[in-house]
Amino acid sequence: MNTLRTIRAEVRKLTSTKMPLAFLAVLVVIGAANATAVAFGTDMDGSKTFISTAADQQSLMAFAANAFVIAGLFGAMAVAREYGHGTVVLTFLTTPRRPKAVLAQLAAVFGAGGMVGLVGAGLIAGSVAVGLTATDYGFMVSLADLAQVLAASTFAGGAGAVLGAGIGALVRNTGGAVTGTIVLLIILPPLAIQAVSEAASWIPNTLANVVSGVDNAVGMGAAIAAIGLWALVPAAIGLVAVTRRDVV
Amino acid sequence: MKQLSDQKTGPTPRSNPISIEHVTKSYGGAVVVDDLSFVVKPGRVTGFLGPNGAGKSTTMKILLGLASPTGGQATIGGFAYGELADPTGTVGASVESDAFHPGRSGRNHLRILADATDTPAERVDEVLELVELSGAANRRAGAYSLGMKQRLGLAAALLCDPPVLVLDEPGNGLDPQGIRTLRNLLRSRAAEGNTVFVSSHLLGEVEQLADDVVVINQGRLVTQGSLTDLQQSASLVRAASLEALQVTLEAAGGVVESGQPNTLVVRGLSLDEIGEQAFRAGIALHELSRHNDSLEDRFFAWTGDPAGGTPRSNPKEEL
Repeated sequence: MNTLRTIRAEVRKLTSTKMPLAFLAVLVVIGAANATAVAFGTDMDGSKTFISTAADQQSLMAFAANAFVIAGLFGAMAVAREYGHGTVVLTFLTTPRRPKAVLAQLAAVFGAGGMVGLVGAGLIAGSVAVGLTATDYGFMVSLADLAQVLAASTFAGGAGAVLGAGIGALVRNTGGAVTGTIVLLIILPPLAIQAVSEAASWIPNTLANVVSGVDNAVGMGAAIAAIGLWALVPAAIGLVAVTRRDVV
Repeated sequence: MKQLSDQKTGPTPRSNPISIEHVTKSYGGAVVVDDLSFVVKPGRVTGFLGPNGAGKSTTMKILLGLASPTGGQATIGGFAYGELADPTGTVGASVESDAFHPGRSGRNHLRILADATDTPAERVDEVLELVELSGAANRRAGAYSLGMKQRLGLAAALLCDPPVLVLDEPGNGLDPQGIRTLRNLLRSRAAEGNTVFVSSHLLGEVEQLADDVVVINQGRLVTQGSLTDLQQSASLVRAASLEALQVTLEAAGGVVESGQPNTLVVRGLSLDEIGEQAFRAGIALHELSRHNDSLEDRFFAWTGDPAGGTPRSNPKEEL
C-alpha cells in the first residue's frame, strides 16, 4: 500500500505541471506534419509509393523510435527538475528509503512515458489516416499491425522515460539531463555503428522498429530485452547515485 | 487524519526527544559539523543558533536522513529518521524555503504530500487555512513571495500533525503578523508536549520564541541550555576598586568585562563566589546582581563579534 501511495504521489507530480501539455503539443505538431506529408508529399520521382502498401504505411506509423527519444527527454526533465527545484527533499522525507522512492518515481515515469508513446503513436496513426483521405490510397494497415505499432510505441515510450529518469537522477540538472539523453540516444549510436558495424542492430532506433514490426534485424524477444537494458542500465546507475548521495 | 498512535514501532507520541550524538560531517577535507552533541527536549521550543555556515542546516539534514553523517548518529525518540515507522506522522520538517516546483500550485504541492502520506484531502485545506494561505492556494508557487513560501513549507510540515517539528529558518521573509502567528503556533505546539526545533538567525525572534537554545559555531557546540539561564549567567558588580576586584575575580576563574561606568560584568562565577572573593580581598561591593544580556549580546559573545572577533569566553563553563 505504501508503494502505491508513493507512486500515486509521483503521478500527481507529473500531472500537476504544464510539462505534459507541452509534450502533447509537440506530439500534435508532429502528427500534423505527418498528415501534411502523407497528403501532399511525394517520392523523388513524384509518385506516392511511400504510402502504396500496408508495410509502407506501417513504417510511417511506427512511432516507437521517436517515442523512445521524446519520452526520454520527458523522463530526464521530470526527474532533473525535481532535484533542481528541491522537491526531492519532500520525496525523501515522506519515503526515507530511497530505493523505494526512486522505484516509485521510475514506475510513474514509465507510465507517463508509455502514455507519451501511446498518444504519439495514436496521433501519428490518425494523421496517416487523415492524410490518406487526400490521396488515392486507403488505410491498409491491419488492426493487428496497428495494435503492434501502438503497443511498441507505448513500451518504447515507457522505456525511454525510464532511461531519461535515470540520467536525470544522475545529473540532477535539467540542461545536463536533456543533453545527456540526446547524446546517449542520438549522437552516440551513429558513432557506435561507425566503430562497430554490428552495433546497428542494437541501437534504440533499430530495436524500436523491430518491436513495431517494421524491421527484423534481431528477434522480437531480443529487441524487447535490449530496449529494457537501454532503459534499466541508466536507471540503475541513477538509483545507486541517489541512494549514496546527500541531498544538498 | 492519521493518528499518531498508529505507529507500530518507533517512539510514542509526545515523547520524542531529538538526540544528536557526536555527529561529524565532512565534505572532502572540510569538516562542516564537528563532534556535535546535544539534546532537544519535548515540550519546549529549542532555538538552533549559529552564524551562516556554522553547520545548522547540515545538522538538520543529517537528523532528517537527507545527509549521512561521517560519524555519530542523530535520532528522534531513539530512532534514526529512516527507521521511524511513520516518519511524516512523527516529524514535520521544512528545510528548504523554496523547495517547490514553480509551476505547481500550493494546493497541489500539499496534495502530493497528502497522497504520499495517505492523508485525507480535507487536511490540505485545513493546514492552508492554518497558515493563512487559503486565498493563494491555487496560484503557482513560483509566484509566491518568500513569506508565502515559508507558510507553504510550514503547512507541509504540519500536514500530518506530527509531534516533532524541525524547521530551518521558518521566520525568513515573514511579515510581523506572520512572525507572531508562527510564534504562537510553535509555542502552542510545544505547550502540548511536542518537540519544536527551530533554526534561525533572527535573534530577537528566537528570544521571544525559544525556551532553550543550542548554539554552534564552525560545526562545534558552543553552548546549550535554557535561554533564561544562559542570559542570566552573568553577574553585575559595582565596587569602588574595580581594578583590584577584576584581578581577584580573574584569579578565581571568572571572565570579567568592563560594563557601564564603575561596573564589571562577570561570568563563570556565581553571586556567592563573587561576594566571597570580594570579602576575602577586602573590597567593598556597592552592587552585586544578576545581569541579563540580550540574546544578541550573548550570541556575539559565543560566536565572535560581527567584525570577526573571537568568542570572549568558554561558555560551556558558564553553565
